[in-house]
Amino acid sequence: MGECMFDISIRVNSMQILPELARTLELFQFPFMQRALVGGVLTGLMGGMLGSFTILRQLSFFSDALGHSALLGISIGFVFGLAPSVVILPFAVMFALAVNHLLERTQLWTDALLNIIYSSSLAIAIITLSFIGRYKGGIENLLFGDILATQNSDLIVSGLLLCVCGVFIALTLRTQMMLTLNEPMAIARGVSVSDHRTGFIVLLSLVVGVSIKAIGVLLVSAFIVIPACAAQLFSRNFTAYILFSAGLGALSAVIGIGLSAFLNLPSGPSIVVAQLGIFLVVSLMPKANLPALVKRK
Amino acid sequence: MIREGRRLKGKGQRAKAQVGRFKGERGVRGGQKGELVNGLKEAVLAVEGLTVYRDAQVAVKDVSFSLLAGTDTALVGPNGAGKSTLIQALLGILPRQGGDVFILGHPLSRSGKLAPQVRQHIAYLPQNFLVDRRVPITVEEVVGLGWDRLGLQLPWRNANDRRQAIQQALRRVEAWHLRRQLISELSGGETKRVLLAYCLVRPRRLLILDEAPAGLDFRSEGEFYELLDHLKREHGWAILQISHDLDMVRRNCDRVICLNRSIRCQGSPETTLSDENLSLTYGGVYVRYQHSC
Repeated sequence: MGECMFDISIRVNSMQILPELARTLELFQFPFMQRALVGGVLTGLMGGMLGSFTILRQLSFFSDALGHSALLGISIGFVFGLAPSVVILPFAVMFALAVNHLLERTQLWTDALLNIIYSSSLAIAIITLSFIGRYKGGIENLLFGDILATQNSDLIVSGLLLCVCGVFIALTLRTQMMLTLNEPMAIARGVSVSDHRTGFIVLLSLVVGVSIKAIGVLLVSAFIVIPACAAQLFSRNFTAYILFSAGLGALSAVIGIGLSAFLNLPSGPSIVVAQLGIFLVVSLMPKANLPALVKRK
Repeated sequence: MIREGRRLKGKGQRAKAQVGRFKGERGVRGGQKGELVNGLKEAVLAVEGLTVYRDAQVAVKDVSFSLLAGTDTALVGPNGAGKSTLIQALLGILPRQGGDVFILGHPLSRSGKLAPQVRQHIAYLPQNFLVDRRVPITVEEVVGLGWDRLGLQLPWRNANDRRQAIQQALRRVEAWHLRRQLISELSGGETKRVLLAYCLVRPRRLLILDEAPAGLDFRSEGEFYELLDHLKREHGWAILQISHDLDMVRRNCDRVICLNRSIRCQGSPETTLSDENLSLTYGGVYVRYQHSC
């Protein structure tokens, strides 16, 4: 009797799942879904690639602060009648350079200084936005993003930025590794720490700025941090770690967008949930088995 | 009391020496200046009147010395004497406020800039080399970083030469079997051997060690100094190492510099490490304990 009921419930569930799957696949016939998928993959690749260095240099909070401060840039843009897409990239870069300068100059604890900056910029942004009546309705898009609204021009910008990130990491890989391993040894080898840090931070700010439209201010740092943390748990060498981090960023975007289409959920948060799922799976696996998974021949 | 080394009496004389050296770089010769330049050309490292401030306080003042090829020089002094500061200023890690530094005849700028081809000839191991255990980097990758010319380059360039150099360096310090290990999984002694391989992976002229053998067991320490001796004698490396082990300095080093903010004495270990000089360097009355088995 029990077996029979179990069988029926599976049939009922499978009868519900199959049409849903078909509907989901149909959704991906639409250009806006295809653009969202490509945009998600590009953002995931960029975030994972730069995130691998970001977490090791303990700059995770930096990407969070950048995301929140973007809101300030957008609100200032509205005061001057400028569109967010025009304001966000230059503001993110200028903000990142200013924060970097402050970090070097004050020698304060990084997390403390970033907390001051991000909470105060968020506060100023909210006050500024409260004066702009016409934008009140759109604050949700800004906070959580809308990857389904990705345009072809966004894909071109993301694609170009991914190429720049790839070339930068490839050409400076050894230097970045040396800087991550030991800064004094890198300086003794003639590496300009300040130049490399500035270059990296500018690139990170551009990636965060480009990703905000799709992911939103609140969740953008997840793209930088979570795939890299998951990759760190099972990587057995540095180059593989960067590749795994970028790969997991892209994979979580595909899973997340698929989930959001299947279950009719918001896309940005679904991708972050997918990232969390991957991280939990990797972190809950027995440690002994992780190196074996990626053991080199 | 033994006080060796050339001392320049006044600023004017130092400035003249400076002019002579820069002219020498451009091939200009003449009398006394020419001799000075020729003398400096032999020196792998030449330091003159070096002064470094840390937090608005003098950390190192008016330090002058030179290192010749094929010599091992120890830098000794009490804690806080400015030994690590001096080394960091020599490498351009810390800015200096006064004096001149020449490495292989090339000037080190005040902000720490040095010709890239000269940097390739320097190896440096810092004090308390600590690796964040979360950095997933293998022994092979760390040693490879010593071989690479850091700057813009494709990571797969000269891959075969690089692999061979890594293999030779790791075999030389008997650490080839560790090549696939993460650096964070190594013991203190193994880490030191790997770092030495990082220095050996490319021919150098100057090796600077900040208490490098600390943490090595008795056998490894012996092998470490044997290797340094080989590098010095066979390959002409100039070695500058900070040490607190005066017995080791007596056994292995050709020259010793006693530092306590400024140079208190320098010369051969036999003559320089006298009780009087050590009291002058370390302060108070220095009593040497003899251990007998």
